[in-house]
Amino acid sequence: MATSGSLICVKDLKKHYKGGAIKALDGVTVDINKGDVMVVIGPSGSGKSTFLRSLNLLEEPTGGSILFDGEDITKKRYKNADGKTVKLDVDALRQKMGMVFQHFNLFPHMTILENMTLAPIKVKKMPKAEAEKKALALLDRVGLKDRADAYPIQLSGGQKQRVAIVRALAMEPEVMLFDEPTSALDPEMVGEVLDVMKELAKEGMTMVCVTHEMGFAREVGNRVLFMADGQLVEEGTPEQIFGNPQSPRLKDFLAKVL
Amino acid sequence: MDSFVKMENFATVAKYSSLFAQGLLVTVLLSIFTVMIGFCIALVMALMRLSDIRPFRFLGIGPDGYQRESGALAVISRFNPVSFIATAYVEVLRSTPVIVQLFIIYYGVFGIFDLPNFTMFGFIKFPRFFPGVVALGMNSGAYLCEIIRSGIQSIDGGQTEAARSLGMSKVQNLRYIVLPQALKNILPAIANEFVVIIKESAITYTIGVQDIMSAVNAVRGAAFVITEPLLVATGIYFCLCFPTSKLIAYFERRMSHGDKR
Ligand SMILES: Nc1ncnc2c1ncn2[C@@H]1O[C@H](COP(=O)(O)OP(=O)(O)OP(=O)(O)O)[C@@H](O)[C@H]1O
Ligand SMILES: [Mg+2]
Repeated sequence: MATSGSLICVKDLKKHYKGGAIKALDGVTVDINKGDVMVVIGPSGSGKSTFLRSLNLLEEPTGGSILFDGEDITKKRYKNADGKTVKLDVDALRQKMGMVFQHFNLFPHMTILENMTLAPIKVKKMPKAEAEKKALALLDRVGLKDRADAYPIQLSGGQKQRVAIVRALAMEPEVMLFDEPTSALDPEMVGEVLDVMKELAKEGMTMVCVTHEMGFAREVGNRVLFMADGQLVEEGTPEQIFGNPQSPRLKDFLAKVL
Repeated sequence: MDSFVKMENFATVAKYSSLFAQGLLVTVLLSIFTVMIGFCIALVMALMRLSDIRPFRFLGIGPDGYQRESGALAVISRFNPVSFIATAYVEVLRSTPVIVQLFIIYYGVFGIFDLPNFTMFGFIKFPRFFPGVVALGMNSGAYLCEIIRSGIQSIDGGQTEAARSLGMSKVQNLRYIVLPQALKNILPAIANEFVVIIKESAITYTIGVQDIMSAVNAVRGAAFVITEPLLVATGIYFCLCFPTSKLIAYFERRMSHGDKR
């Protein structure tokens, strides 16, 4: 069913509020392929977060469809490969999509290690020892193994966000969604988080990143989406978007941020 | 003119000191059980109030496919019967006197069938103690419900989003993420409710629970003195409640320090 190679096919996606008076998303169509590092840029209020959050159904779209691995996840019930009608398992779906938030959203009442092992143990039913071993290996990769027993409040913003990223990775997702992961950080901490994301991209992780870090978009992204007023205005490679912008809105936006 | 209190009357009261000691134990046990029952009721009621069960949701979709913003159908579509029941429970119990509730439970509900007639510790009469705990527990459940509800609502929505995005179900999110944080925040409020119940439990003497107040009554009936036993009861209640409140305030301060670290 799926277009060959596409992990996620978004078609005419809409999210309207107040009887259509507010169109946070107004017909977005895009395919996300395996291994893509897709960077979403656009002015404030253009619907970037809404787009990202729709992908793992933290927002329920009001129109259009999202095919993930060929299944339409916007339908509460759908026909599976055998032609049987089954109920969509939103929890199972979300396990395949890691999400990283602007404000980290670590669980403050748990240690870093507990933050990382809770979902693998409770959701994936992984044995505790195995989950902890995995978590420590992941923490080691982001240089935070020695902070495993600390509480989130004892970490800096950059450290918190690195933990948030590996917490999502501990569920072994197929795609990672980032919503402005560096916007709440002090400038000197932005680099350490972007480095982790770059590393991840190099390993071939499929990523969708909403960010204001144009340098990151240029260097790491293989596709850039420019959104405005809930619509996908322009899409292309970083070279096309930054080097040869077409629409006046994009030119205007780039003039402001670069 | 008679003086307000007479020393020799205190000597009379002293003869009944074992009654006061038993009363103290009854009051404390009654309050502990009440808070436990009240907490369980409150937790269920709070979750009911926060539930999202709307059987007529479909009526809220207009012909244009959008959610209706106003009108009778929009109101009906938002109706949540589960939440309504919990809200009704809370409002009724908070808007009627405790003594009325106590009498309804004791004479009305437990009047129609017999409770096992045994005594605990040799002096706590279960058929009176139990209805007292149920009535007070139901009443404090209504107040605790609002405390728990606000505790749950005070947890940042980002916590739930993070939990759900990791694939946790609604129940897992509640159990592992939201409730532990909410309960920690409202622990002082729950402890305060305990102090309130210690004081409020005094009315259970009206259904024959042998608490501190009933010791006062017993002395009055036997020795025809009232002011002095009342002052003794005042002292006991104060010694029970005042240090508890201070202790709670102390831990509350310490906990808020911890959060600012
Ligand atoms: N619950 C809501 N009710 C009404 N309007 C909403 C709601 N949520 C979002 N919107 C509107 O939808 C539009 C898109 O919001 P969104 O958060 O997706 O923008 P964004 O591109 O992420 O902006 P930012 O860069 O500021 O994060 C905004 O105009 C916003 O006001
Ligand atoms: Mg946003």
